[in-house]
Amino acid sequence: MQSLNKPTICNHCHLEFDNEVMILEKLDDRQLHFCCKGCQGVFHLLKDEGLDIFYDKVGSKTLHPVKNREHNLAKFDLDGFAKKYITKNNNLNKISLIIEGIHCSACIWLNERILHECDGIIEANINYTNHKAKVVWDPSVIKLSQIIEKIQSIGYNAYAYDSKLQEDRTNKIRKDYYSRLLVGIFCTMNIMWIAIAQYAGFFTGISQSIKDILNYAEFALATPALFYTGWYYFKGSYYGLKNKMINMDFLIAAGTLSAYIYSIYATLSKTGEVYFESVTMVITIIFAGKYLEILSKKNAIDSLDGISSSIPMEVTVIKDGVKSIIDTTQVKIGDLIEVKPGDRIAIDGILQSGAGSFDESSISGESNPVYKQLNDNITSGTICIDSVITYKAAKDLSHSMLQSITTLLEDSLTKKPKIEKIANQISGYFSLMVLSMAILTCIGWYTLGVSFEDAFIISISVIVIACPCALGLATPVATLIGVAVGAKKGILFKSSAHLETMAKATTIVLDKTGTITNGTPDVVGFKQKEDFDLNILYSLVKSSSHPISKAIVKWIEKQDLKPKEYILNDIKNIEARGLTAKYDNHAIYGGNIEFLKQMNIECELNSSKSVFIFAINDKVICSFELEDKLKTGAKDTIENIKKLGLDIIMCTGDNEHVAKDIANQVGITKIFHSMLPKDKADIISKLQKDNKVVITVGDGINDALALSKSDISIAMGNNTDLTVKVSDIIFINNKITTLYDAVILSRKVFRTIKQNLLFSLFYNFVTISFAVLGFVIPVVAAVSMSISSLIVVGNSVRIKRIFKDG
Amino acid sequence: MDDNIVSAMLLVSIGLGALGLCAFLWGLKTGQFDDKNKFLDGALHDSEDDLNVAKKMEDKQNKVKRENK
Repeated sequence: MQSLNKPTICNHCHLEFDNEVMILEKLDDRQLHFCCKGCQGVFHLLKDEGLDIFYDKVGSKTLHPVKNREHNLAKFDLDGFAKKYITKNNNLNKISLIIEGIHCSACIWLNERILHECDGIIEANINYTNHKAKVVWDPSVIKLSQIIEKIQSIGYNAYAYDSKLQEDRTNKIRKDYYSRLLVGIFCTMNIMWIAIAQYAGFFTGISQSIKDILNYAEFALATPALFYTGWYYFKGSYYGLKNKMINMDFLIAAGTLSAYIYSIYATLSKTGEVYFESVTMVITIIFAGKYLEILSKKNAIDSLDGISSSIPMEVTVIKDGVKSIIDTTQVKIGDLIEVKPGDRIAIDGILQSGAGSFDESSISGESNPVYKQLNDNITSGTICIDSVITYKAAKDLSHSMLQSITTLLEDSLTKKPKIEKIANQISGYFSLMVLSMAILTCIGWYTLGVSFEDAFIISISVIVIACPCALGLATPVATLIGVAVGAKKGILFKSSAHLETMAKATTIVLDKTGTITNGTPDVVGFKQKEDFDLNILYSLVKSSSHPISKAIVKWIEKQDLKPKEYILNDIKNIEARGLTAKYDNHAIYGGNIEFLKQMNIECELNSSKSVFIFAINDKVICSFELEDKLKTGAKDTIENIKKLGLDIIMCTGDNEHVAKDIANQVGITKIFHSMLPKDKADIISKLQKDNKVVITVGDGINDALALSKSDISIAMGNNTDLTVKVSDIIFINNKITTLYDAVILSRKVFRTIKQNLLFSLFYNFVTISFAVLGFVIPVVAAVSMSISSLIVVGNSVRIKRIFKDG
Repeated sequence: MDDNIVSAMLLVSIGLGALGLCAFLWGLKTGQFDDKNKFLDGALHDSEDDLNVAKKMEDKQNKVKRENK
């Protein structure tokens, strides 16, 4: 049954298709081919508008075939939508959109062009990198729905996202930090070469007049570094003092400021050495660590933008037989809600009519779709896969599962940092100690009969010596390098403080679906009984979006590089069971065992796994076994982590049978199965009561609560979920092996920090005692400061070698 | 070395550097580095036609600005 037709290329999307499925058209002696009505429509539209130059720009690149969009544009003009996404300014409206379907710069050109030529649109700017668009328009001339329609008419789609919430703010913060960091780096680089001249001058002799010039130049460079780049520390210490806390920021601010003031005094009085270069360097290096934190936060938020838009805001409500789209906040208990295939459920309820499969993986972690019929409970956050159903709302939005999990999360987010407080307290005591020691020194020398001026200078030198390099650099440099090394390995630390907590962890709680396993079924067994054309099966499974069909599509595409799609007639999707269709007067079937029995086809197959059987005309042709496979390296990773002395616990929403099966495969002995999101969180609280430091790794909304409770939460990066928001660490590469890397990396960093602290405390102890006694000669201070910071930095750089040693 | 020469060298070199820094910061503030692909890829699609469209767009924006005044 192999097709003999030659493939031809669609004139719009440039994809290859069988000649027989193409729509043919003659235009000015040119034979045109289109794969679908959508492509044909767009081609003509562009030609009519004089924009067919687009095809020259695209070249031979392929586009997505144009789908016929659902014309559900009314929602863009609703008040609820406007309130959330549109900002108003001087009678003009502004919105941020994400444009879907962009392949190349020509696509952006086309979109911008069509928007620019539209009356009423004042500004349209699409970002070439992330495909986000800002559109400003005059609402008295054109409506938003018309703008979206314009974009859809040329084969793209646009959806709104809330830029006010995250993106704009973090972008602004990031830019601000970047500017400050740049100024700091500029000042440091310039001040260092002046400092070299001064060091050299100290040893070989330098005239006072040259020294003055260098001092003034250093002053000019240190001032912006301290007050512009270092502004962050002044602000931090101000808020700290307001809350009656002396924090690390205060120590840095006090230390650098006093060194700065002392240096000005030294410059003006022409006595002693200046410390401008230490001030600048310390501020800049510590600030660089802060900037890196902001940067990794930004990356996390970028991946979040697309996600929040997937949570539905409107639902279709049927009242007295009339369908209307209303805002989710306005749905009342008892309202009838209609759901189409592919929709995510926003409100909990009870099914009234229709039946279909639901993807519950984001709530329960169950990897196989669940079949639901009359009077079954529907939970928000699940996705209706294959049918149109109506259900009665049983709760309003704020009490629905999805929303209540979100609120719980937000609550726990504000309560989080426990470790950070302790760290701040310790550095607070240290700062207090240094400050009081400085004051005591001043008083002590003064009572011993030294002039107040000398006593004051000695006490300042105590603070100067104590602060900068010692504690200031010990932690940030090590974490900075740790975070950077992690990023290369696909580990994203949202805050460098998490490295420390991670290193102290005693227990790891793992989710099953999506963490240990891939989260989607894969073909593990294939039995063929008769010869057949694989393309028929391909066309059949391609017509469904069920995870099992998708797995088979993937499998076929792996076997055959270019499977062809035939046109099938009468495709029917029997919910949660299978598919039927007709091809060339042959009836074809595909589905599970019950489905084939229902169709009176005999088949013998015993398997504990999910099964898909394919039959033509009452004869079984082949069968597939599918299973949620382990991620590569899962077993080794868990073994290695156990060797490090960590406890591993598996926690899953799946049933006992599946859970035990997977646990045996990877070698986990402690398992909790059939867990609801709240149960998981309880387990973690219980562990924490036993003084365990818990790392939780998860990927779905169902894990989000547990993640927010645990000391360190890790999210798998493939996910489109809230989890990314509540997690401390994200594995961008979505590999389980990264977990092992993360553990050893954090331990290495923590060890380095401890070494650095030990060294710097020792250094402080020695130098402070000298300073208190008034023995600090300027050159000793300057040289020992540089050497001590070099040692700290050098020790931290060793972290980089961790993954090279094999 | 004469003191004046040292100070002049310092002033000029740091001044030049500061000038470059200021220019970069200004560029950052006005959003010129927000979209690294725009200037490069956008240039591929530059034509007389596109200039006309851009001009029309500017006219529209100016009109709105005038109305608001």
